[in-house]
Amino acid sequence: MRTDSYSETQPTVRAKIMVVDDDPDLRQALSLRLRANNFETVNACDGYSAIALAQKEKPNLIILDLGLPAGDGFSVLKNLQQYPALSTIPVIVLTARDPEGNEKRTLQAGAVAFFQKPADNDELMGVIRASLQAGWGWGHGLPS
Amino acid sequence: MENEPAHVLLIEDNPGDADLVRLRLVESKSDVLVNCVPRLSDALACLDIETPALVLLDLNLPDSHGAETFRRIMQKAPNVPVVILSGQDDELLANKAVHLGVQDYLIKSEITSKQLERALRYAIERQGLIRSLDITRKQQLEFKNRFLSHVSHELRTPLTCIHQYVTLLLDGLAGPIAPDQMDHLKIVLKSVNQLHAMIRDLLEATRADSGKLRIEPRCIDIGELMRQSVAMMRPSATEKHVSLEVVVDPAIPLVYADPDRALEVFINLVDNAIKFTPANGSISVKGSLVETDPTSVYISVMDNGRGIPRECHPQVFERLYQDPDAVDGNRTGLGLGLFIAKEIVTLHGGRMWLASEPGTGSTFSFTLPLYSLSKLLFPIITQHGHLRKDLALVRVELTPISKELRGGWKDTCQHCLEVLRRSIFVDKDLVLPPTGSNGPIQTFFVLASVDMEKVNILMDRIRSQVGKLPQLNSSGSMQVIAERIPPAPVADPRTLEQQVWGIADYVTEVIQQDLWNNPNFTDKENPTNAH
Repeated sequence: MRTDSYSETQPTVRAKIMVVDDDPDLRQALSLRLRANNFETVNACDGYSAIALAQKEKPNLIILDLGLPAGDGFSVLKNLQQYPALSTIPVIVLTARDPEGNEKRTLQAGAVAFFQKPADNDELMGVIRASLQAGWGWGHGLPS
Repeated sequence: MENEPAHVLLIEDNPGDADLVRLRLVESKSDVLVNCVPRLSDALACLDIETPALVLLDLNLPDSHGAETFRRIMQKAPNVPVVILSGQDDELLANKAVHLGVQDYLIKSEITSKQLERALRYAIERQGLIRSLDITRKQQLEFKNRFLSHVSHELRTPLTCIHQYVTLLLDGLAGPIAPDQMDHLKIVLKSVNQLHAMIRDLLEATRADSGKLRIEPRCIDIGELMRQSVAMMRPSATEKHVSLEVVVDPAIPLVYADPDRALEVFINLVDNAIKFTPANGSISVKGSLVETDPTSVYISVMDNGRGIPRECHPQVFERLYQDPDAVDGNRTGLGLGLFIAKEIVTLHGGRMWLASEPGTGSTFSFTLPLYSLSKLLFPIITQHGHLRKDLALVRVELTPISKELRGGWKDTCQHCLEVLRRSIFVDKDLVLPPTGSNGPIQTFFVLASVDMEKVNILMDRIRSQVGKLPQLNSSGSMQVIAERIPPAPVADPRTLEQQVWGIADYVTEVIQQDLWNNPNFTDKENPTNAH
């Protein structure tokens, strides 16, 4: 599931971002952009593997789709809250669904931001950096 | 009617007439059960318990007369067919009733058994048809809206994919690209953005159709919003060599509108104006007050483009209207923009209209409601017929840690507002309606009828009750300041109302200044407030 490797030669610790989306093309595009912005990425394609991978990889941030097989985005948010180690990871929801009815629900379920697809890249990167700097990441605030 | 006897509710106060109807029904060998009541109140009570197959109704009852009688019955049982029993003298009224949804009327003195039996049978059948038509219509509307909503969502996924990969290429993240290729990709991106806008419009129109379009009005500075929208549209106007100016009457008080939605309306109208104005043309966005309508602000977007033929005016605001003469590669879109804009304005209680002559240009105008601060202030700032002496304005500003972190910030502000409302004295202080444009900083104002010494106590209370909310502390900070509202001169010749207006004007000005000092956008051509 892990598609790219973490380079040991990087001088600084890079933030690790987990992309959860069932569309492989979109996962790839997002990962490419994130890596170009000096983030490390891991990918999951459904709700079940998202939780398993989050426990294994302990990402600093999660980008989460809502419509997913094997447990939708809402159940992922709910499950993350049940593990103390995972409950502090900032989650950004990125979905094709309407903000109306979904935005509030996801934020109440613990997400830090809601984006509707297609999202503006600069805005998305801005929120990712802000969320990581807010120190809600895994253990430490990270350079971006 | 063939198997089980049909229940007929006969509402008739004259025993002779009631017996006559029963007799005719027996003669006709109709398989009916008649329940006869003399008063409307009895009938309404009966309809509570049981739904009859038909109501036979005399219009003049001891407790109700004329049109009111069938109106009440139809309101109570909208799906039950009603046949009116009328005298010769009120045939006109009976006719009108048929127009309003009553199935039929029979003139009492002329009733034959055959006619009665047939009237009842047909009335029941017609009502059944109407009902099933109505159900089908509702189902179809529901299906259409669900279908459109579903399709728009499904279109988003591949569109997102195209958007992602095109921007990857454009940003050079997949290697360097030649200038020509760059131009081509920009065209792809432009088309993707157009498609995206169409999908958004489709969803908005569907929402408007099914009554799901919502607005969250607040006190806003409409001038600020107009300048914001002009700043956003300036690049595309410049690209087309069209001049774009904004003129706002500085006397406009606060407007009560949803800032995001109002911005949507502005952008829509200005975007349209740019589309249909040739190079070197000009567009003017104006906000003004009209003496004959003191409760609204009048806003117009005027261009000197080619105008709209008079015969097209009625259709302009309809769904799917497109300019029949659109040429020069103007992609007109779905033709939903003006429909949505008008719906948004209507939701605010405003109107939108068009004035246009071919060859000279078009002016789209609309109104939005003004906020009447003085009405709100009156009970708080007056006492025993006099203006209170000591009045202070407390400003509570909430700033998010990061302007990017919008998630939940709106909710946090809402929660703060609720706590703020609980931390004041309801008979002496007043939390003004939330103000603001669509920026991340949220300001609340509290009008307090205390002197500057006591206002410190209020500020401390706000600081301790609102400032200590864990939600606020994790995502933002709060600043509380207060100022004294200049008191009216001791020998003020004005009436109490006029004095209250004076205070309202003062407060309005402070709020407007505040909104100007927190600009989210600056327009390069209008860096200050162009009045």
